[in-house]
Amino acid sequence: MKKITVYFALLFLLLSSLRLPVAAQSKNSVLIKNATVMTAVKGTLESTDILVENGKITKIGKGLAAPAGANVIDATGKYVTPGIIDCHSHSMLDAINEGAFSVTSMTRTRDMLNPTDITIYRALAGGVTSANLLHGSANSIGGQNTTVKFKWGHPVEDYPIADAPPGIKFAMGENVRQTTQAPQPGRPLRYPRTRQGTIQTMRDAFVRARDYKQSWDDFKAGKTKVQPRTDLELQPLVEVLEGKRLVHCHGYRSDEHLNLMLLADEFGFKIATLQHGLEAYKIAPEIAKRGTGVSIFTDSWGYKLEAYDAIPYNAYILWKNGVNVSINSDSDERMRRLNLDAAKVEKYGGVPEQDALQMITLNPAKQLGIDKRTGSIEIGKDGDLVVWSDHPFSVFSRVETTLIEGEVYFDRKKDGQLRLDMAKERETLEKLDVNKAPATGGGPPRIPATTRQAERDDAEYGDGGHR
Amino acid sequence: MKAKVKSQRAKLKMQNAKCFLYLCLSVLICGSISVHAQNDGAEQNKTGRAGTFAIVGARIVTVSGATIENGTVVIKDGKIAAVGAGVAVPAGAEKIDGKGLSVFPGMIDASTNMGLAEITLGLAASVDLTEVGDMNADARAIKGIHPHSAHVNVTRVNGITTVLSAPTGGTISGQAAIINLNGSTPDEMAVIKDFGLVINFPSVAGGGGRGGGGGGRFGGPAIDFNQAVQRRDQAVEDLKKIFRNAEAYLRAKAAYARDKALPYPATDQKLEAMAPYIHGEKPIIFSAERERDIRAVAKFVGEMKVKGIIDGGQEAWKAADDLKKNNIPVVYTHIYSLPVREDDAYDYLFEAPSKMQAAGVKFCISTGNTGSEVRDLPYHAGIAGAFGLSKDDALKSVTLYAAEILGLGDKMGSIDVGKIANIVVADGNILESRTKIKYLFINGRLLPLTSRHTELFDSFKDRK
Amino acid sequence: MRSKLFLPLVAAICSFFAISANAQSYAITNARIVTVSGATIEKGTVVIRNGLIDAVGANITAPADAQVFDATGLTVYPGFFDTLTNLGLGAAPAAPAGGGGRGGGPVAAAPASAAPQPTSNSNYPAGLRPEEVTSDDLRAGEAQFEANRNAGFTTVLSVGRTGIFNGQSAVINLAGENVSDMVIKSPFAEHISFVTLGSGGYPQSLLGTFAALRQMLYDAQRLQEWEKAYAANPKGMKRPEADKSLEALFPIVSGKMPVVFNANTEREIIRAIDLIKEFRLNGIIAGGQEAWKVADRLKANNVAVLLSLNFPKRTTASSPDADPEPLETLRTRAETPKGAGKLAAAGVKFAFESGGATAIGDFFTNAGKAVEAGLSKDAAVRAMTLGAAEILGVDNRLGSIEAGKIANLALVKGDLFGRDKFVPQIIIDGKVFEQKEPVRPPAGGRGQGGGGQTPAGPSLSGSYTINIDVPGSPLSSTLNFTQSGSGLTGTMVSSATGSAAIRDGKVTGNSFSFTTTVVFGGANLDITVSGSVSGNTITGTVDSAAGAVPFSGTKNP
Repeated sequence: MKKITVYFALLFLLLSSLRLPVAAQSKNSVLIKNATVMTAVKGTLESTDILVENGKITKIGKGLAAPAGANVIDATGKYVTPGIIDCHSHSMLDAINEGAFSVTSMTRTRDMLNPTDITIYRALAGGVTSANLLHGSANSIGGQNTTVKFKWGHPVEDYPIADAPPGIKFAMGENVRQTTQAPQPGRPLRYPRTRQGTIQTMRDAFVRARDYKQSWDDFKAGKTKVQPRTDLELQPLVEVLEGKRLVHCHGYRSDEHLNLMLLADEFGFKIATLQHGLEAYKIAPEIAKRGTGVSIFTDSWGYKLEAYDAIPYNAYILWKNGVNVSINSDSDERMRRLNLDAAKVEKYGGVPEQDALQMITLNPAKQLGIDKRTGSIEIGKDGDLVVWSDHPFSVFSRVETTLIEGEVYFDRKKDGQLRLDMAKERETLEKLDVNKAPATGGGPPRIPATTRQAERDDAEYGDGGHR
Repeated sequence: MKAKVKSQRAKLKMQNAKCFLYLCLSVLICGSISVHAQNDGAEQNKTGRAGTFAIVGARIVTVSGATIENGTVVIKDGKIAAVGAGVAVPAGAEKIDGKGLSVFPGMIDASTNMGLAEITLGLAASVDLTEVGDMNADARAIKGIHPHSAHVNVTRVNGITTVLSAPTGGTISGQAAIINLNGSTPDEMAVIKDFGLVINFPSVAGGGGRGGGGGGRFGGPAIDFNQAVQRRDQAVEDLKKIFRNAEAYLRAKAAYARDKALPYPATDQKLEAMAPYIHGEKPIIFSAERERDIRAVAKFVGEMKVKGIIDGGQEAWKAADDLKKNNIPVVYTHIYSLPVREDDAYDYLFEAPSKMQAAGVKFCISTGNTGSEVRDLPYHAGIAGAFGLSKDDALKSVTLYAAEILGLGDKMGSIDVGKIANIVVADGNILESRTKIKYLFINGRLLPLTSRHTELFDSFKDRK
Repeated sequence: MRSKLFLPLVAAICSFFAISANAQSYAITNARIVTVSGATIEKGTVVIRNGLIDAVGANITAPADAQVFDATGLTVYPGFFDTLTNLGLGAAPAAPAGGGGRGGGPVAAAPASAAPQPTSNSNYPAGLRPEEVTSDDLRAGEAQFEANRNAGFTTVLSVGRTGIFNGQSAVINLAGENVSDMVIKSPFAEHISFVTLGSGGYPQSLLGTFAALRQMLYDAQRLQEWEKAYAANPKGMKRPEADKSLEALFPIVSGKMPVVFNANTEREIIRAIDLIKEFRLNGIIAGGQEAWKVADRLKANNVAVLLSLNFPKRTTASSPDADPEPLETLRTRAETPKGAGKLAAAGVKFAFESGGATAIGDFFTNAGKAVEAGLSKDAAVRAMTLGAAEILGVDNRLGSIEAGKIANLALVKGDLFGRDKFVPQIIIDGKVFEQKEPVRPPAGGRGQGGGGQTPAGPSLSGSYTINIDVPGSPLSSTLNFTQSGSGLTGTMVSSATGSAAIRDGKVTGNSFSFTTTVVFGGANLDITVSGSVSGNTITGTVDSAAGAVPFSGTKNP
């Protein structure tokens, strides 16, 4: 019976083994040795070591000594870049759009985080460490975003970057107008159905927000007796007016985005990013003048009418005008190959390598207000790093290791072991009675899918995951 | 390549931002000037110009054989007239200096809907993908392809010279065409007007769709698994029935042809269109993804004695034995897809081509894209190259392997004398996303490297 | 929900018959008494008078006027609680939000009440009306509870379960002809599900659900202050914008009324805890399938769990055309029964609920599985008696066998957690319901069509040497059987553990089954052994919480 004890003990151990693919290691120190380091700010350093201590990059140099107990990663022949930041994603969200109203600023993607979503792990395997998790584009004014680091295996509260400024999603164009969808019988049409209506919806919201703020000011000044409502719809818009909340606005046509910037001028705030902005190249000087960022697909086009004038030279023209450009995915699939999307910017127009790399690292960090802690390889910044098998702009390159704050969240070698472990675990679990099919009868199993309905693009309107 | 990038970086360090901006601009302008120069005034006619051309002093990636480090390719009468290190430039040939450049065969995408849909979302008037009805064997893509679609130029300037364009929807969608991405009329573009019959092979699927084409979003009432299995089985039976009906019909036609005394069989165009396919003269392109579906296709192909091609093929490597036995190649379209199941390895679909290669399945890599993103074909192959496939095989998977699967192995897919002169000259490996295409030939015509995108670029690049 | 509009159901034919014991006292003697609040009395008496427990103890004498019931061989428990049901509401049981399986992904819209919206001073649509009170909708008549009483339940928490606000629940006894007789406590708590409104209105997505909840809680806080200020001095102040939905939230935002969140997955539970913290609610989790994963947080925030015993198990057939199930699904099925033990270890308060389980008997057998998976038997019993009463705030009157408490008792024959558990008597508010033990047709007799006959076949009595096929280390054991009719007794002997007596031994034809508990390393492992004998050969399976392994052997000469 002793043997049986051992057996059962082993079985219990197996069963209770957690799902973390990469066990979190000591956060204390990691030394990456002998890499070609693409810093994203100070050029490329050959045969260089990076030391990360307590989550921060503390040393960059040659022949660094490993502190006792440090995790040493030999990156000889390999490249290291900052972790990729995706400035437009809907990954790990249980819901994306609240479509009932045209203004849903009261909703928060923070409420919808699902830290067990496998797309997180797959994004890490593509070198993505941070993302801007946006509400969808079904509303002129959508919900509040969450800027996260993909700390797979950690509890949900570890994902949001605590000191990232809050933001909100706006949207213009086809999705907001709901004109690409057939009207549903019995369901009234939602205002707006035109572009002029869309901008008016936004104006109306800001006018209401201004009045709302006035009502609070009056109350605080003792002019009114009854405390005004805490209005979760208007509160975030007051924050926008006060410059405390970043606006990320989905849109395609240049005239629409220009109208938005003019509206912002009128109300005295700055738009943080024009999202998609596939025609932003047409109004590059206007964007540059306002210091507004643009977050684009590198070269997607033509999947809908408002994307028909998109060109792959968009990034180049914007960059040439001095606009801060980032390249995003808006897709769980595309997210895994943003490095190649950045490489295309070198091809179309000839943006220099480091500037191209910045478009998926430092630039989105700036757009999201997290550039003090991440987005480049510099002393004092977070150890958000990717080790690549080859030059990250090469199609033949693979992510070997992805680290966030010095902790390994993806490692290709460990992934190989993980597959074996999962197969073994499955074998054990399938033998349990609870997992056996009933001897007779039983309900119908799930219909197998042929494709993963996972390209959670904006409101499923085909923006990112279009094929 | 790397050296060039580094010298650029050095300059960046030395000069201030303004100078650098100017530098970049001038590089760009110079680039476009050289293209203009190469194409003279022929840009007016976007189908380029014919002639005798000699690309001299280039690295020639023949694909079929060894790469020639410093050689010449001669293009004449639309064909490759000579290839080699010591080839003489014919008198009167237009010389193209290939120094620092590489010559590749044009890439081939064996699964697209090129020319059949301009803007798929919200602009139905520009979409000709799916006919009404379940059986449309007589619907011919070549009759729907729009030769002036903006997708054509955008695709070819990235080095893709030939595509298969297929209709979609229903069980028997229609017949796919193979076209070169150049020509003022569909016939000028056509390589094979009616290449293959497209069948969405029935699979266990929810909603109203019958697997394959179309998503389930508006797919009719929900059904359960058992109903889905029944529906699949019924659909396979129905498909067999169509094949048997076509056979009977054609037999009656043949009998009547021999003996006019027999009653005249009324013409059925749809069944008539099945003739070359049920007789195994032309291939049937079956879309199928999962192992069980692929095995079912193989079984069907064996039973019906037809020629099959798998389109999609996510798990084709798992059914290698059945595919080999029935001589079925795979057009793999899932590099840009997410693994279906949450337990699948992250690179499950990246590794599939290398697994097919290892299992001895004949395959090529395709975008499976409607049209606008077919230009990404080289990167699909490149990613497979990062996950187990050799770089040579990655290149073959979008050139020679594709040509062979499309029955064009003797006509294109490599740089060999006598083949159609679909040729791309680039400043690096064409599978790399940083590589720039410098010259492009289709059917031996030198094409301008312009597209809707370069036109819009030119219109706005200098706006102040 | 609107049960009053439902046609009265025809009373079911009842195998229970009630003994009026209102004035007269009733004494249960010679019983094993699990008091829960104190030590178990191995042989004692419980006296009931006027619907209350009058006395309990080993040395109590039945009063002279008492009707005496000799409970030799029976165990008396406090009446059992099911802490989340929709009993008494008449409507077909609705699945709890996100209940049963893994509630991954967007939660499907709960069916909103089909009833027309009553005109009232609520500004909120059906599904967002916290003012709805379950006890208003309770249907009179105790016949409707028969099946639940038969299983041993005396008290349940009942609430309608549609919409985001499910309404205010009631603790009810499963007896009484009038609603007022049933209700122990109403309202108990507001219940909330993280669902959308199916009506097409706001909220259409979970994003909106959370925003709508927050806004209503803020608005309720403000209205409460406003009404207070206005009541104190209305002069010069705008009259408050009364709204009965918001007013219904006053006791919630002031922490007086608990809020029960239906939440099964880890992330749903965390979202609930976040709301509880944000608004300082007196929160409780219901369902709690993955509560064990966040046991620390539940403990830290003093959040109790109404833990579902509707353990997931595979119910789907296998098919070559189907996909293998996701690993996480397999894991969840294996892990869920261990949850209760882990919550107990972490010091989280919990009580069991049926989780909309289709077979009510699963409640006790699944509680047994929780015991097999690490929960102590005492803790399991507590989670369906006193522990439940504590969470529902009725522990001063229910949940244990103590003098002065309401006389809710369950008399149980056999192992409470076993399949053959039988409840010959249940007492609610002192009212005795008797159940006749059904005549069990011999199991497995179906095919032979011989109802009521003693099983044919050879006697299994004898000694068998078996090899248990534990992967990697096969184990030898001896089974000593004595068959008597369809009963089986004896021992299971192994060199490592010595002899263990077999329990619940049964013989049907050539087949047998029994359970036993083997002890090693200080830990108990309950195993179920089933198999069959053919000639001199014996084969079967040894099953435990850790999995099933086959065995085979021969009869010793």
